[in-house]
Amino acid sequence: MTDVAIQISDLAKTFRLGLSMKKVEAVRGISFQVNQGEVFGFLGPNGAGKTTTIKMAMGLVKPSKGSIEVLGGHIEDRKTRSRIGYLPEHPYFHDYLTPVETLNFYGKLFGLNGAERKSRIDRLLDRVGLSHARSRTLRKFSKGMLQRLGIAQALLNEPDLLVLDEPLSGLDPIGRKEIRDILVEQRSQGKTIFFSSHILSDIEVICENVAIIQNGKIRSFGRLEELLNSELSLVEVTCKGANPDVLQAFETQGYRVDRLGEYDRVIVEGQANDALSQLLNSGAEIQSVVPKRDSLEDLFVKESTRQVDEGKAA
Amino acid sequence: MMGTVNRSLALAENTFLDAIRNRIFLGLLVMAIAFLLFSTLLSDLAVRGEAERVVLDFGLFSMSFCGVLISIVMGVILLHKEVEKKTIYTLLSKPVSRIEVIVGKYLGMLSVLTVGMTLMVMIWVMLLASKGADVRIDHALAGFLLFFEVMIVAAIAMVFSAFSSPVLSGLFTFGIFGLGRLLYLIENMLDSSKGFFVNNPGLRGPAEVFVWICPDLSVFNVSQDLLQGIPVTGAYVGSAFGYAMATVVFLLGFASVLFLRRDFT
Repeated sequence: MTDVAIQISDLAKTFRLGLSMKKVEAVRGISFQVNQGEVFGFLGPNGAGKTTTIKMAMGLVKPSKGSIEVLGGHIEDRKTRSRIGYLPEHPYFHDYLTPVETLNFYGKLFGLNGAERKSRIDRLLDRVGLSHARSRTLRKFSKGMLQRLGIAQALLNEPDLLVLDEPLSGLDPIGRKEIRDILVEQRSQGKTIFFSSHILSDIEVICENVAIIQNGKIRSFGRLEELLNSELSLVEVTCKGANPDVLQAFETQGYRVDRLGEYDRVIVEGQANDALSQLLNSGAEIQSVVPKRDSLEDLFVKESTRQVDEGKAA
Repeated sequence: MMGTVNRSLALAENTFLDAIRNRIFLGLLVMAIAFLLFSTLLSDLAVRGEAERVVLDFGLFSMSFCGVLISIVMGVILLHKEVEKKTIYTLLSKPVSRIEVIVGKYLGMLSVLTVGMTLMVMIWVMLLASKGADVRIDHALAGFLLFFEVMIVAAIAMVFSAFSSPVLSGLFTFGIFGLGRLLYLIENMLDSSKGFFVNNPGLRGPAEVFVWICPDLSVFNVSQDLLQGIPVTGAYVGSAFGYAMATVVFLLGFASVLFLRRDFT
């Protein structure tokens, strides 16, 4: 059995739009892999090519170039698809059906027998908090409720791989927490989760590896920790009663010094031993020492800015 | 194999539910019944002894027209809605092939048409009986023939809706239906030693190709036979059924090829 859940190699998609058949390159030769058992975050601004990539991975859009291997097989293979749970962006369902009818329909497509369907449907509706609305038609559902049903249908076949396109959009904070808990629960069961999101804090909490896509190209890829640590580290030292001459010296050295009432905050690049020694020797009382790591949002914004700069240079 | 059948049946059931909960279908069915009832009003205006013929002829026309209208509208809407409303995303991520989606949708549509056509034929037969007509097996067989025709029209609608918009699909399907009904006229014109194709020899080739590929729907219209008392035989209905099935299989195969090539963006 392969250890790679999704292998994307030199994948590209060009659409031809309008009567003039104008070429639009949505995805431009991207390559990355998602390992089995990991939670992989796929980031990018609107129009970056995230959804097109996911749709190609799910066989909804045919690649212009390159290949995708999912769970060691091809997505067109029925056996491969029976091991995948997919949640599209803004999930759509037949609005004349109830949640039970919807899940029952999908359960039949998975070849589940009646008893198994019933037990899984009851359990999943309870898990996503829709038991109270089991007999209500979907046209009366809110966006958040549809998102929960989307998660339920993605879990119906107890998949090895979950592919989720913006799973946390449309949910209130409590709903987001509940769905995040479900994802963490799936991860603890050894499931692979590949998901895109605009909510970077959620990706930062759940994901081990990420890829950032912009303008159809992968800009950053790797372990989240390494990507964030590869950026310049800062240490924030907060103290009280520091000698003004020492603070002045820090400023001369290029450190940022903020005066916050009776406290002083010094932001040091790299290791902070020297700065701490000088502050202690000057009689300052150290209140806190906080390593300042770039957040995913910082990284994301930096990548976006870099791309804009590259565009201007070109 | 059983898996394919089960998945297609699940899709058919889902399509059936979609259609019967659709107000457009119910509206068309009410219109069809209104047409049939209107034939009794017309029969009251007919000269003595002609009431039965009016109900028979106008009834057959109403059933054919409304059956075709239902099959075009449903055929165009049901597949397109799946794409337009993006339910196709979740559907195709399941272990179901695109061919099964086409077949399942078609079977679902067929079950809806069965309900509609059965209802129409029953009302028509009751109206005939109320006018003192001698209701024969021929009348039921004529109903079957109309059903075969709507089977083909629904399959044509599936072909167009596999790649085109609902409006265009509807127009194209209706166009093919009209030409299919008049195909014998084009054949007669091609066989004639004078007339349109003699004056326009450049159009003869395309017309011959069209006659070859367009389903001949006139074989399903036996109203003139019934009016003249010519019996509709089981053998004729059997051969018409074979022709309809072969045409439907070809059309669904073509629709599947188009659907397989499609991107769902």
